[in-house]
Amino acid sequence: MAFVSHSQRDTNGSYTFSSRPRPVENRSKYREPPSEQTHSNYGNIMYDRRVVRGNTYAQHIIPTAAQLDPSEIQRQQEIRRRAISEKRAREQFISRTPEALQGRKHIDVQTDLYLEELSDVIVATDIECQTDAFLDKPATPLFIPAKSGKDVETQIEEGELFDFDREVQSVLEVLVGKTIEQSLEEVMEEEELACLRATQRAFEELRNNELAEVLRLQEQERRHSKEKERRISQQKEVLKKERETAEKIAARAYTQQYLADLFPAVFTSLRRDGYFYDPVEKDIETNFFPWLTSEVNKSLEKRFTARALLDTIICDVAQNRLEAFKDTQ
Amino acid sequence: MACSLTDPSRAPVAFGRRTVQQLFEELQQPEAGSRLRALASLCDLMHDPERIYHTVNGGFLEQLKVVFKDEDPSVRAKTCELLHMLTTHSIGRQALLSSSLLPPLYQLLDDSSSSCRRNAHQVLNRLTMLRAGANALLTLVPKLVLRLREEEDEEVQVLLLSTLSSCSRLDALPALASDGVSLLGHKLSHCSPDIRREAAAAMMALSVCEDGKRQVCEEAVLPVLVDLLQDKYIEIQANAAGVIMYTVISTTGKRQCLDLDVIPILLDLVSKDKEEEEEKERKKALVMYSLRALTALAEAPDGRRLLLEQLPLLVMRSEAADEDQDIRRAAQNAVRVVTWTP
Repeated sequence: MAFVSHSQRDTNGSYTFSSRPRPVENRSKYREPPSEQTHSNYGNIMYDRRVVRGNTYAQHIIPTAAQLDPSEIQRQQEIRRRAISEKRAREQFISRTPEALQGRKHIDVQTDLYLEELSDVIVATDIECQTDAFLDKPATPLFIPAKSGKDVETQIEEGELFDFDREVQSVLEVLVGKTIEQSLEEVMEEEELACLRATQRAFEELRNNELAEVLRLQEQERRHSKEKERRISQQKEVLKKERETAEKIAARAYTQQYLADLFPAVFTSLRRDGYFYDPVEKDIETNFFPWLTSEVNKSLEKRFTARALLDTIICDVAQNRLEAFKDTQ
Repeated sequence: MACSLTDPSRAPVAFGRRTVQQLFEELQQPEAGSRLRALASLCDLMHDPERIYHTVNGGFLEQLKVVFKDEDPSVRAKTCELLHMLTTHSIGRQALLSSSLLPPLYQLLDDSSSSCRRNAHQVLNRLTMLRAGANALLTLVPKLVLRLREEEDEEVQVLLLSTLSSCSRLDALPALASDGVSLLGHKLSHCSPDIRREAAAAMMALSVCEDGKRQVCEEAVLPVLVDLLQDKYIEIQANAAGVIMYTVISTTGKRQCLDLDVIPILLDLVSKDKEEEEEKERKKALVMYSLRALTALAEAPDGRRLLLEQLPLLVMRSEAADEDQDIRRAAQNAVRVVTWTP
């Protein structure tokens, strides 16, 4: 049995315990080592003497938990202490007589004047009585005091408590007053608005009038200024044209005058530059004269070479003569 | 006077300063019927300027944003009516402008319920009485022109047209850009006089600027306007005369109008019949506009020729002692232009 329960230290140091559920064993208070036959004592829980049955409201069950709260422990200690003190207090008032000797017994004896039977049983008699059933109370007679004083009577006539006309006056006043107030407000408002609109309209008319006049004058101004501008530009155009024409005329006259003696000048310069020529003359110039000069050159060349030859001959001879002279020296 | 016993369609009203606060608290209730009643009471109360002041200063306007998105169309319509009441006063208008309630209001313009749309348009119309309001609505003008095209309900059309004319008085360009002139030209020949009047007023606002004049001439609106000059209602006549007055300032306008032979009609309007006193008041605008139109037409040579023949009439108008100052001045101006020689 003991092997069924497990208790061990957990990893973080706490202590765990676990065991299979089993019925509580019948053990004596002072434990003997558990025997193996405890299983046979296992019986129906319904017929177990240790199980509390019935009403448990007033039962003071000793908690089976082995651990008690420290406060619980304290409280129980206190209760025990109080009981002890009470008992001690009570014992104080009990007169202590020496104990009876051997073979004798203390007995309470009464030594008062009158004998009283001391017994536990109290003589009691039962007596009962019963009242009669209630009778109906008779009606009390009306208390009519004696007549004293004068008789006076009063009566409220038809229209005295409530006079419709008088009452309705105030209600009507309020109704009519409020309605008229409201309608007066509305009418005033409308009048105000109508007034506003009328002044607005009058103002608008005047404004339109003056605006039209202003616009017309503006337009007139614009037209006039445009017209003026147009005329001015037209005039400018005219002036420009005139100036142009005058310039053209002047240019024409000048050119005419400038070009008047153009012809003779041209012809003279052309003639001067030799653009007008006689072909025969030209031909003679271009063909004949070169040939002539070249022929002349040729003949002159001949003469020249002849002279050169002669010169060399002379030179040779002179040289020979000189050598010959030197030889003879 | 709103007590639930006397009038089951109104919520009970607390006293004094708690009035507005308590009604707005009731607006937060999830139950639709109580919201409607609270709104009805608020509408009644808003006729008093002091209550408007309380509403605006207590910052309750932001709570209306939630109510705008309510599913019940009558609640939405009532909220618009409440805003309509608020805008009768300048504080209300300014508060509405500075709060962020305008975008939900614009969304309501596309709402399915027509009473809702009508009330929303009423609010916008009132808002344009303030210059800053008209300024804020300028961005909305294209959308309004679009709505005008699709809208069939006459009342809403009238409101739309008057909103458009107020906005265009400030700045006509958005309306012109979204092709407003042709649309208004259509409306000019509508059967209902209110629509004609408002359309003519809007056209007058549009024709102030150059672009507008050009478009009016191009879209061939002038014949319709000349017809309107002979309409039964004086206001329509006055508005049509106003449009013509602006259009003939430009040269093309002058030419077209002279082609349409508009001078006799205008002279007819200017001529002094036996008018009664109160008719004189109403006719004042008409006479002034016609005089100005004649002045502008007199700048063209053909016009001047025609008018020189009719000069005595104008002179009579300008000399009359019991005449209004403005009319007299306008007539003298006309005479001066007619008798001008280069």
